[in-house]
Amino acid sequence: MTTLAASAAKVRQPLGRTKAIGWFIVVVGLFTMFGMGVGTGTAPHSTLTFTPIDVSHGAPWHLANLTLPTEWTLVLLGAVIVALGAEVLVRRLAKGAMVRVGLMAIVFLVAVLVWASRQPGPSQVPFINVTAILVGSAAITMILIYGSLSGILCERAGVVNIAIEGQFLGGYLVGEMIDSATNNWLLATVGGLVIGALLGWLLAFLAIRYLSDQIIVGVVIVTMFTGLASYFNSWVLTPYPNLNNGNIASNLAIPGLMKIPIIGPTFFDETGFFYLMLVLVGLVSFALFRTRWGLRVRAVGEHPQAAAAVGISVERTRYVNVILGGAVAGVGGVAFAAIQGQFTPSITSGFGYIALAAMIFGRWRPSGAVAACTLFGVSAYLAYNLQSYQVPISTEILLMFPYLITIAVSAGLVGRVRPPAADGIPYSRE
Amino acid sequence: MPSARRLWDRYRSASPITIALLALVLGLVVGAVIIIATTPAILNAWRGTFHSWGAPGHALKVTFDNVGAAYRSIFTGSIVDPPQFWHSVTTGRGWTASLTPLSETLTYAVPLVIASIAVGITFQTGLFNIGANGQAILGGIAGVAVATLVHLPMALHLPLTLLAGIAGGVVGGAIPGLLKAYTGAHEVIVTLMFNYVASYFMLFTLLSTPLQLPNQTNAISRTMPGGTQLAPLFGTSSGLRVNYGIVVALAVTLFAIWLLDRSSIGFEFRMTGANPHAARASGINARRTLVISFLISGGLAGLAGVAWVAGTTHYIDQNFLQGSAGIGFTAITVALLGRNRPIGIVWGSLLFAALEVGGSNMQANTGIPYDLATVIQSAIVIFVATPVLVKEIFRLRALRAESVKVATAGWGS
Repeated sequence: MTTLAASAAKVRQPLGRTKAIGWFIVVVGLFTMFGMGVGTGTAPHSTLTFTPIDVSHGAPWHLANLTLPTEWTLVLLGAVIVALGAEVLVRRLAKGAMVRVGLMAIVFLVAVLVWASRQPGPSQVPFINVTAILVGSAAITMILIYGSLSGILCERAGVVNIAIEGQFLGGYLVGEMIDSATNNWLLATVGGLVIGALLGWLLAFLAIRYLSDQIIVGVVIVTMFTGLASYFNSWVLTPYPNLNNGNIASNLAIPGLMKIPIIGPTFFDETGFFYLMLVLVGLVSFALFRTRWGLRVRAVGEHPQAAAAVGISVERTRYVNVILGGAVAGVGGVAFAAIQGQFTPSITSGFGYIALAAMIFGRWRPSGAVAACTLFGVSAYLAYNLQSYQVPISTEILLMFPYLITIAVSAGLVGRVRPPAADGIPYSRE
Repeated sequence: MPSARRLWDRYRSASPITIALLALVLGLVVGAVIIIATTPAILNAWRGTFHSWGAPGHALKVTFDNVGAAYRSIFTGSIVDPPQFWHSVTTGRGWTASLTPLSETLTYAVPLVIASIAVGITFQTGLFNIGANGQAILGGIAGVAVATLVHLPMALHLPLTLLAGIAGGVVGGAIPGLLKAYTGAHEVIVTLMFNYVASYFMLFTLLSTPLQLPNQTNAISRTMPGGTQLAPLFGTSSGLRVNYGIVVALAVTLFAIWLLDRSSIGFEFRMTGANPHAARASGINARRTLVISFLISGGLAGLAGVAWVAGTTHYIDQNFLQGSAGIGFTAITVALLGRNRPIGIVWGSLLFAALEVGGSNMQANTGIPYDLATVIQSAIVIFVATPVLVKEIFRLRALRAESVKVATAGWGS
């Protein structure tokens, strides 16, 4: 650990890296202004609409379509990106630089949407549905936040939970099966909670009692559960398709609030899992930073020897937190099933790992994780959404986008985040 | 008598080999429990015990029959089917059928040995390469591209194809290696994400003009010409798929033994892995060691990918190294099982290849999905990674086998 800290010190050259990031943002902005914007001419227009796709609970108050001249909109969005880059360069932002990169990615993707939907143009989809984009992004973001909260609970106590992907998969499988059998998402949630907690317990048992390498054990647990889920899928779900009927949870719209355009459908016409996620974010924030329990957990994660010296049981704290974390990720898996439906073996497609990266990006804090997950969620949804606009980029390349962002972000962060000091280190009393 | 005594003592002293064998036993027990818990016939038989007194015996029999049939098919599908073998010995006919199980196991073991050594080398350096699958995919794509798009005499073409595979893998290994060395990005996240990127990149190339089979809309590549394939060891007419990939795997094993035990860079790898402080203090360039380790690891993973294509399928499609067929994660488990040593990895690969091949046979005979093999493999590795647990279960005396050492570290790097 200390070695790695030392090498991080060696790697850290804030100014050089900040400059590189700043100039990169500026170049993207200039490309948006002059590569895509200037030259589309004055004729094309891009139209924004605000009516959500799902209006089963009643549509929000109507907002008229907004038609924008494509050229000027792109120049404006490009200027925003250039301003972000200039801010990084002028203020020499060492810490916030990657946040600006995330904002840049979102503004740039919006610019690509504006460009791709221009009319007259090649697109079959002549408008951008802003509300639909936000609703879709909120769904992905919700899944990621469940995973990040799980990671925070474990890592604040000093255990790396890389098995989030496996807990997602477990929660998804069990949740989908229970809901298919009983038509009750509450029971499904309990099932996901139990399976997630069990997988968390397995990780805790191996990592705490037997001092195994947490990352290795976590990866092997994911491998094991991937195999098990695949086995279960063909041995049980295929012969009994009514255990995997692909139901999705219906939304619980909050009357009144959901009438607000754009915001209403995004935040107040969601499944129960979305509201539960909001509650959990508040709860974890409060518990970790405002209660005695949280102080103890953080002490265990930062300096287990000191915590043990004042009478805190390091093992028990870690067990409790890893099991709690597993349960949260398991519920996240059920939430995934509640919006996605039918189970297939590779359905979670690395979201557990992306959630982990978002947690690091959010500096092991619930509020930071929410911001990071929103960045990942919005940009992932925008990238997926581009497929419908006949952009001259192949689908496969667009699908790489969330993973590439994760790589880029984890490369741009180092030396700027500090994990809990004892994160990942087995603790033994001797 | 004393020899039996000595064997017993050796068993009780928990050598790494004892631990590995006992872990295998425990892994099979886990697999049996899963079969029992999920197979309708067994569950129905046990449900019957609530209704009649003679039923428990019947239920036990059904349980043993089902589990026995599953494990028997794993054995006969991967090693030898005794009646068939006896038939061949007595009549001299049907040797193809008798030797197919072993041939299949060896065929599957080839890429596994190479990829596991790739992972093992990074473990020895204290790094975790979870991206062997992505690197193998890049290697496979590069190999197929050179084999199908370049025209050369065979003596040059096959080596060049394999080299292209290595080069593809090196590119895949360079990304996490350089990113970690120059920006500090944690290799676990980068390699995990890169697996997905590589999969989509493969789909992209398989659907684009030069590599896609002409006049096709599916994601499928051109077929490698005969001269670039690793030919079957006993000729095409033998019907056995085992191929000259074995020679490649053997060469890689020898290379790895030389690299880790004889070369100075290998010494630097192991020293960095064992104690990074001491390594730095004695003047080892940490950054250079890290990058070279990842380049070699990536190159070997790429070679594993191209060896699989050139030896068995001769083309790639959208299922190449995807899902259950992915070798990257199996390679991690094999490297852990083999304690990151080349010879141990060879034995581990043979065992895990046998489980996979046998798993397919089990699915064909009993319907139980072959994914059970993955579960058994992972269970074995969990037990190997926690020898203390195995020791407690079997009440072994001492623990000579040290626990899997901390090969990776937290995110802060």
